[in-house]
Amino acid sequence: MKSSKILSILTIALVPVFLAAIYLVFFYAPIEASLGFSQKIFYFHVPLSWNALLAFTAVFIGSIGYLRTEKKSYEIAARAAAEIGLLFTTLVLITGPIWAKPAWGAWWMWDVRLTTTLVLWLLYVGYLMLGGAVEEEGKKGRFSAVYGIVAFVDVPLVFFSIRWWRSIHPVVFEFRSGGMGLDGQMQVAFFFSLFAFTLLFAALMMLRIKIGQAEEEVISLKEGS
Amino acid sequence: MKTFKQLYALIEKDIIAQLRTKDMLSAMFIFILLAFVILNFGFFEVLEVIKQNPKVVGSVGGLLWVALIFAAVLGLNRTFVLEKDEGVMDGLLLAPFDRSLIYWGKFISNIIFLLIIQVLSLPVFILFFITQSFASQAWLLIITIILGDLGIVAVGTLLSAISVNTRARDLMLPILFFPVIIPLLIGVVKLSSFVFAPQSNLVTIRVWLQFLGVYDIIFLIMPFLVFDFVVED
Repeated sequence: MKSSKILSILTIALVPVFLAAIYLVFFYAPIEASLGFSQKIFYFHVPLSWNALLAFTAVFIGSIGYLRTEKKSYEIAARAAAEIGLLFTTLVLITGPIWAKPAWGAWWMWDVRLTTTLVLWLLYVGYLMLGGAVEEEGKKGRFSAVYGIVAFVDVPLVFFSIRWWRSIHPVVFEFRSGGMGLDGQMQVAFFFSLFAFTLLFAALMMLRIKIGQAEEEVISLKEGS
Repeated sequence: MKTFKQLYALIEKDIIAQLRTKDMLSAMFIFILLAFVILNFGFFEVLEVIKQNPKVVGSVGGLLWVALIFAAVLGLNRTFVLEKDEGVMDGLLLAPFDRSLIYWGKFISNIIFLLIIQVLSLPVFILFFITQSFASQAWLLIITIILGDLGIVAVGTLLSAISVNTRARDLMLPILFFPVIIPLLIGVVKLSSFVFAPQSNLVTIRVWLQFLGVYDIIFLIMPFLVFDFVVED
């Protein structure tokens, strides 16, 4: 079992990686001058949201793959990615307001990023609910895949529409012409944290796919007997 | 030519079935009237303020679209119910024509039903909520409604073909439909705010019309690519 070995190595590696990430974020990176300590949450918030987008892209690719080939593995992977993406998006929606309350004085504002993320969350809740509401196996895969494609196309549309509607978003990690608008030590902490969360995403993905395959096996064993 | 004949037959079937009972159309119309009344009381004081402020007076257009989109879901939910429950779909799948025609037939009949509802409810909306004349902007309202309807029905017909096959059925469509329709809602509300306001901004209007056009095109192309997978059995 080669993939299970990779998974165990990955899982064990996550412990020191996350400890190192926490060290870098809280002790190595300096306190931001204007935002203060609350800025630290961005080292978790932004990697989570980037990985959530990565996960939803995986749903999109998996959905196209399933419709083209009807291979069960694509359906399992797409579903796994949707669940993890939704988990990460939920965490993004929780960590955001925790920062927003001291910074903006409000838990929530109808802002570009906030609104887009909320719509993203709603879309993929729908995706997972749809999967749970279809009994027949083939239909479940096909319907989920169709909605996985529709949902993914909707996200850039929401993003652009709200951008034109009103654009008042504080961009903290701004890419400027001369590089990132971040101090060198902050960059180290940020990119290491991004690496840690991407690793976490990979590990969760592998684990969830394994569970999905096991579920399939149980179903086929039941049908066989 | 043959394709058009087949399409016409599909639409005719839906319209005849609808005219026999009229339950969907009358329910949608009454639903919209109720939505107007509920929205009025839900935003009673806000609406008073809005009416007196020429800067934001156009935003009452939002009420129209909220009511329309909720009513549209009501109708869209019924799109494939006969097909599913009475076994019409089996017949349609056996019929010797391209399967995407099933979609386009439903698409056109849904557009017709939605337009009927709008023709009936728009005067009521104007009577209830609009105090100033907007005759010079009527063209924009018509274009907005057409672009809005195309998007609502394109997305709704596709998703209702999915939701009718789920366990929760009527409950599933709004959950799938609303998040996808949000960008369109933003566009039509923005355009309506120019319709009902004393002054408008042509540059901004063009941007939003283009946006709605792009939305419609995307979701009119999408069914060509994926509808076959939805009805495949």
